Amino acid sequence: MALLIVGFMAFGYMSAARHGHGDGKINPKEIIYEHLGDAYGWELPFNHSVRIPLPIIAWGTDGLHCFSSSRITGGETYDGFKLSTSEEHHGKLVQVAADGSETRPWDFSITKNVAAIFVAAMLVIAMVMSLRNWYRRNGMKAPRGAKGLLELIVDYVYTDTIRPIMGKEAPKYAPYLLTVFFFILTMNLLGLIVIFPGGANLTGNLAVTMVLAVISFLVINLTGTREYWKEIFWPDVPMALKCPVPMMPLIEVLGMFTKPIALMIRLFANMMGGHMVVLVLMLLIFIFTSLFGVLVGGATTVFSLAFALFMLALDTLVSFIQAYVFTILSTIFISMSHVEEHHG
Amino acid sequence: MELFTPEFGLVFWMFVAFGCLYCVLAKYAWPFIIKSMEERANLIDNGVAYAQEAKSHLDNAKAEADKVLAEARGQQAEILREAAKLRNQIIETARGEAAEEAQKVAQAAQLSIEQARKESEKQLREQVSEIALQVAEKVIRQRIATDDAQRELVDRYLTEVENNN
Repeated sequence: MALLIVGFMAFGYMSAARHGHGDGKINPKEIIYEHLGDAYGWELPFNHSVRIPLPIIAWGTDGLHCFSSSRITGGETYDGFKLSTSEEHHGKLVQVAADGSETRPWDFSITKNVAAIFVAAMLVIAMVMSLRNWYRRNGMKAPRGAKGLLELIVDYVYTDTIRPIMGKEAPKYAPYLLTVFFFILTMNLLGLIVIFPGGANLTGNLAVTMVLAVISFLVINLTGTREYWKEIFWPDVPMALKCPVPMMPLIEVLGMFTKPIALMIRLFANMMGGHMVVLVLMLLIFIFTSLFGVLVGGATTVFSLAFALFMLALDTLVSFIQAYVFTILSTIFISMSHVEEHHG
Repeated sequence: MELFTPEFGLVFWMFVAFGCLYCVLAKYAWPFIIKSMEERANLIDNGVAYAQEAKSHLDNAKAEADKVLAEARGQQAEILREAAKLRNQIIETARGEAAEEAQKVAQAAQLSIEQARKESEKQLREQVSEIALQVAEKVIRQRIATDDAQRELVDRYLTEVENNN
């Protein structure tokens, strides 16, 4: 297995070396952000230039535009749109005005990340529906194989985590929490697969984790009880702390927002960090090769590969842990917003 | 630095995707899966409880069966003893009855012997008296000379008779 990977890497090394003859220099930052960022096409494995075209949907100054991304990924301008090369909107879709100035349209394009989100959602639906269909067909029989593993995870998340925390409210919020868990887990793991249909750095993108955090924020606060709001705006503290200067209420309101923000940052940082470390380890090979020659680069390859392999294995674990952490913290925050009247 | 500045399109589609995912799964999948899993867990729990109960029942049944068996054995022994006693009793009774019967038979035999003896005594007496008469007749017929000789004769004959008897 390791030999196979080394073989692949040698192949990649050679092609990269050929590729690099153009400008001769490696720009690590650009490469990292290109790999972690979004794109208007989906790269195919073992080829840097052929991409799966994806639809571009943009609401510009003159209405809605839809066209294939293959029309502009080569740097062309189509229908007044092009991928910007300017510092401000680098690599983004921009609308070029008559005087040459660039403006960002409302960009609803199905980018690589959006497509990957849909792939992940479809995968989750397929997995969960297969489990449901098993129960529908086989009733009380225990599922085997992959479905058994799926059931094990559901059981772990629901029976061992959500139910003890939420108590009798568990069935009401379990669908949301289980959906969050499986969605994050699938996105995390898809992000670790380097080739299509994976390879999109989803949970390492702040937009994705922000949406998840906002939804959790809404669920936490929209279902809060009266007691929860009372504890925020009129907590059980000495009068001097809440009137005339509402110090405690201010802190509590701040707490309302820090909790989901922590959720957002934690998932984002963990996943992006993992991807970035692997990328940097890979780039070290090329950096050392250009600095000290092929021999040192070759030696670095072995070390980099070993560490990258270890990191990917670790990231697999982290994928599961972070999905679980996001879910369990959401569960705790929701159950905390459902406090009943208590004394003392 | 698009990683840190959320892209509007991505946020929008993420909302859409998550919304769709949640609607589909919350409506069709999760409640059913959770219900099925809980039902199965309950079924298994109940099954275990039932099995334990059944096992304890079985153990009890075994003990009970053993008890019944032991009781039956005791009864059997009792019945056998009783039977033996009854047999002995019957034999005893039969023996007693037989002895009584035998006594009766013996008594009857004695009686008949007694009768026979009396009969024979009577016959003897008749014969003696006949013989005496015959002797007297002979004595008279021979005309015995002397009274002594006559008495002697009578005496002799009597002795003879007695000895014959």
